[in-house]
Order: sequence, then C-alpha cells, then structure tokens
Amino acid sequence: MRSMAPPVRMAIRALRANSVRSGLTILGVVIGVAAVIATVAVGSGARDRIQKQIASIGSNLIVVLPGSLTASGIRLGTGNALSLTEDDARALAAECPSVALAAPVVRQAQQVVAGVSNWATGIVGTTPDFLAVRDLEVARGAAFTWQDVDGAAKVALLGETVVRNLFPAGGAVGQSVRIRNVPFIVVGVLAPKGQSPSGQDQDDVILIPISTAKKKVLGSSLASAGAVGSIMTQARSAAVIKTAQEEMRSLLRQRHHLQTPQEDDFTIRNLEDVFNAQESSARVMAMLLAAIASVSLLVGGIGIMNVMLVSVTERTREIGLRLAVGARTRDILLQFLAEAVVLASAGGLLGVVAGLAGAAIISRIAGWSIVLSGPAILLAFFFSGMVGVFFGFYPAQKAALLDPIEALHYE
Amino acid sequence: MDPLIEVRDLTKTYSAGAARSWALRGVSLSMARGEFAAIMGRSGSGKSTFMNIVGCLARQSSGVYRLDGIDVSRLSRDELAAIRNTKIGFVFQSFNLLPRTSAIENVELPLLYNRTVGSTSRLVRARQALAMVGLEGLEGRHPNELSGGQQQRVAIARSLVNSPEMILADEPTGALDTRNGVELMAIFQELNRRQGITILLVTHDPDIAAFARRVIRFRDGLVVDDETIRRPRDAHEALAETMPAAGVPAGADGGSR
Ligand SMILES: Nc1ncnc2c1ncn2[C@@H]1O[C@H](COP(=O)(O)OP(=O)(O)O)[C@@H](O)[C@H]1O
Ligand SMILES: [Mg+2]
Repeated sequence: MRSMAPPVRMAIRALRANSVRSGLTILGVVIGVAAVIATVAVGSGARDRIQKQIASIGSNLIVVLPGSLTASGIRLGTGNALSLTEDDARALAAECPSVALAAPVVRQAQQVVAGVSNWATGIVGTTPDFLAVRDLEVARGAAFTWQDVDGAAKVALLGETVVRNLFPAGGAVGQSVRIRNVPFIVVGVLAPKGQSPSGQDQDDVILIPISTAKKKVLGSSLASAGAVGSIMTQARSAAVIKTAQEEMRSLLRQRHHLQTPQEDDFTIRNLEDVFNAQESSARVMAMLLAAIASVSLLVGGIGIMNVMLVSVTERTREIGLRLAVGARTRDILLQFLAEAVVLASAGGLLGVVAGLAGAAIISRIAGWSIVLSGPAILLAFFFSGMVGVFFGFYPAQKAALLDPIEALHYE
Repeated sequence: MDPLIEVRDLTKTYSAGAARSWALRGVSLSMARGEFAAIMGRSGSGKSTFMNIVGCLARQSSGVYRLDGIDVSRLSRDELAAIRNTKIGFVFQSFNLLPRTSAIENVELPLLYNRTVGSTSRLVRARQALAMVGLEGLEGRHPNELSGGQQQRVAIARSLVNSPEMILADEPTGALDTRNGVELMAIFQELNRRQGITILLVTHDPDIAAFARRVIRFRDGLVVDDETIRRPRDAHEALAETMPAAGVPAGADGGSR
C-alpha cells in the first residue's frame, strides 16, 4: 500500500500541473467509455423491454401450429391445415412430462354487437387453461369454466379494448353481446395486457368456450373434425422449454403416424425463437457501436501514449534526479505507469458519467427504457485503466531505462 | 579497515563513431572515511567523469572501483540505485530541485526510494535535514520562492536525509556568489567535522578548495597532484572576517574556534 500510494499521488500532482493537456488527452477515452456505457444501457434496456413483452404474452409459452414452416418462417401450403386436434392438446398436457398445460385454440375475426355499438374483434374459442398459459387475469367477473366448455355455454370473457368500444358507459359484466347474431352473456373482463412485441393490441379479444365457438360461431369445416387452429402450451419452467418441444414433437409425430422420412405436419415454436430475429438486429447495432467505442478507445490510448512520451521528455532531468537519489527501474516505471493509468481512469470515470447522461437523454428523447448495468460500468472503468497500462507502458519503460547521467544533463 | 573509496587504474573512454576519446586514463587513489577532499583541474580534465563513476551513476571502462570494500562494477542497475540511495548524497551545480514541489518534499524524495523508512519518519527526517542546513521554517516554500543559496541548501538537506557515508558535489558553488559559496562550505565543514561525513567536491575556485583538507588535481584524465592541507581555512572564520555584518548562517553555528 505504501509503495503504491506515492506514485499515485505523484501522478495526480504531475497531471494537475498540466491540467488542460491532461483534459484534452483523455477526451478519446471519455468518448469511448461513454459510447460503451450508453450502448449497454440502451441495448439492455431494449432487451429488457422485449423480455417483459414476451413474458406478457405468457411465460414459457410454446405454440403448436398446424402445417410445417420453412426455415424462413413461411408456412408451406402443402401442410394439412387441419392436422391438429383437441385430442392432440389433451394428449400433450397428459403425456409430455415437461408440459404443464395445453390449451386448444380456434380463432376467427367477427363483428360483435352490444345494443347500438358494434366492434370487429378476434374471437378465440379455447378452454379455461388458456388463461393460465397466456398469463391472463380476470379483472371483473369470472372466467368461464370447464362445465361451460362441456355444455357449450354461451358465455364470453371480454378484453379491455372490446369493453371500451362496446360498453363506453361501463358495466359490461352480466350484459349480453351478440356474436354472429348469437347472444352471449359477458361473465368477465380480462385485465389489460397492452401491446405485444409485434405491436398488436392484446386486449382486443373475446374468449369463449371452444365448444361454443365451433357450434355457434365458426364455419362448419373446423367444427366437423375436432380440429383446432393452434395449441398454446406452457412448459413447466424456462429451463425445460427445449425438452418440452422435443417431447411434444415426438408425441405429435407418433399420434399423426409420421414415418422417419416424412416431415412434421405441425410447427412448434417458442417465443424466444420468434423474437430472436428482433434481437439480432439490435445486436448488429450494438456491435457497430462497440466498434466505434473501441476505435475511440484506441485513439484515446494513442493520445495517452503521445502525451506520456512528451511528459517523459519534458521531465528527463527529473527522472535523472530520481535515478540519482536511488529510484530503481521499477520505481520510475511505476510512477509513469501510474500517471498513464490515472489519466486513463479519469477518462473512464468521466466517460461513465457522460455515458449515463447520454443514455438518460436518449431514453428521454426516444422514449426507450434504459437499464444501468453495474458490471458493465465497472468493466468499462477497468478497461480504461487497462488502456492506460497498455499505452502507458512504452513511455514508462522509456523513462525507466534512461541513463542517469544523460538524463541529469538533458537540456 | 577498508578505505571508503579505492580506485585503481580507472579508465573511461567515450566512443564517438569510430574515434575513441579518453576521459580518464588510469586514475588511482583512495579516500578514507571522514575525509574532505576537493578535486581541481581544467575543464575537460575528467573530474565529472570521475565523480560519476565514484557516485555509481556511470561505470568505468576498465580498472577497479571499490566502495566500502565492494567492487561495484559487479552490481546490477538496481543494486547501484540502492547504493546511491543509502550511501551517497549528491549535490549538483544546478541544484536540480523538483519545480512546483515544496522544500520538504524535495528533501523527502530519496526517502521515497528507501523502503525501510515509513511515511511518518520520512517527514521527521526531512525536517531534521532542513534544520541542519538552517532552513527551518521554510519547509513549505517552493524552489522559485527560495534564493540560490537557499535552494542549494535544500539540495544539501536532500543529500543528507538518508544519512549517507559521503556527499559528492560537482561544482556545488558554481552557480552561487562568493558569500553563498563560503556559507555552503561552512555547512560542508560542519557536516564533515560533526558527523564524520566524507565529502568530495569538484571546484574551479582555489578559494573554495582551500576549505578542504585534501586537494586532488586532475589533468587530461590523470591525477597529477594529491596534497593534504595541514591547516585548511575555516569557513566560519572566513565569514566572520570578510563579511561580519551578515553573520553566521543558522544551524552552522558551532564551527568557529
Ligand atoms: N557523454 C560523453 N560523451 C562523449 N564524451 C564525453 C562525455 N562526457 C564527457 N566527455 C568527454 O570526456 C572528457 C572529460 O569530461 P568531464 O569529465 O566532463 O570533464 P570535467 O568535468 O573535468 O570538465 C572531456 O573531453 C569530455 O568532452
Ligand atoms: Mg565537469
């Protein structure tokens, strides 16, 4: 400790003697570190937002769709659109150990009327499990029940947007809405969820029992075969999402009597896959900014090396004196290295402050959320110190290896 | 007991391109502990070169130099630094104080490189050294706030602070007026008599050399004369005789007989 403190104190004194030059020198490091900090703050803010939205769609959600998808995500026309059934959904929940819940879903856009108001929305026919799979909550009233599904009861759960448009005066629960001219009793209203990551209004929806949907709302084609439009399943935990996908795939292949060379007639996707595409473009952006950051850190480092070389030359006589009174090679090396590191770390510190300020401004202007990462800040700070060590080493070594006599008589 | 300094057939050559020039051509002499010697000689006669080798700042081209019985030519760069730190104090013609640094911090400098001295005793010892050269009260002054004579005294305090065996001073009075030069010699005589510190100084000025107890003359890289002075001048007396009004510098008070 004692051997380290004097070099740092000496370094700070030497740098303050030339404060303007020191300030200009660290500008490159300041900008580099600020870029890193702002990038990380904005980038992890974006990632955080996407993850929150994914969670809002339903935690550990895995969607099974009929037909197969190409790698690019385009659905092939050759797949059997009616390949998934309610029995498949029941089997997935019952036989796949990693699958907690599976809710069959049929879906259709319909005009809905309540009194004089009408509204076009998405009708989702499903089972009560759907609410758990999608993390939906009932704000007012109650969800429909398994008895409602068995009895094909004409009951409906309304999303907030639908309520707002059909019952502007409020009081939806207990009222009646007409879907395709069939009267349904509103048993409950869903708690609002906001936008999905792809920008859809998740509250513009009406949930009804799947049996009722097939009998009263949908066309006959789906109703006949017990087929469903999709199955929403929930893995038991985030850790077993991949396992659950494997289990579901092999179970469905078996149930659909698919032989080895045959392709799947269904598609299993989890939400991470869906939004990875979005994230990868964010990653390109982050890499670009990281490149800018490393270039300016490099420039800053070269600036530090330059100013340290100037400093060594200017203080040649001082170095000669120090050598004469007993400074060892290591002492001089340490002194100038400390100076470079203090210089670079000061730049790092200012850069962290500037980066956080920049991130705050960006989030204010663009309305993005930012996430401040402690480790990233420490890492940036540490990295700027390393820039000091790396670019300060050559000048420091030059100083330490000076010949004492020549240094003392340097003009 | 070994002499403090023992050199035999010491040579030093500088090669400038193909040509070689001889700065020292075979110097042999020895100095015991407690001596006070002055080296005289024309410019270019090799005095500084000799001092640099004796001060472990440079190495000889051939010959032997033993310091305190140790053949220092075998020592590494850092071992030489340690010897300079603890056994030798340097005083330079141009003072060589650190600018923008207080007197006390200048004096502390050699102690920063002495790992046996902690920060508290560093301050105590630096204060003592400044008092020894009569500069108590001026600890906080920066070099540009001190006169030339005061700056050179700070430099002497710096050379003293590690309690060295010897002080090497290459033309220490070269940048001073006569009075300050004599005051400096008073301090050197004091240190030599009271503390037994060996002093070796280079000077052009016979009046300065007259304060030493031994005068060594260099010419063309050789020692041509080496005489012991039976009754050297006393610097305090000289100050009292020639410049009675100015008085004796503080801290160098006990010398007059
Ligand atoms: N670094 C050097 N390179 C080349 N020649 C030198 C160097 N230092 C001293 N000399 C030469 O060595 C001789 C002795 O120099 P020096 O010891 O400085 O003499 P003095 O101190 O007695 O004036 C001179 O001729 C000088 O030119
Ligand atoms: Mg000389």
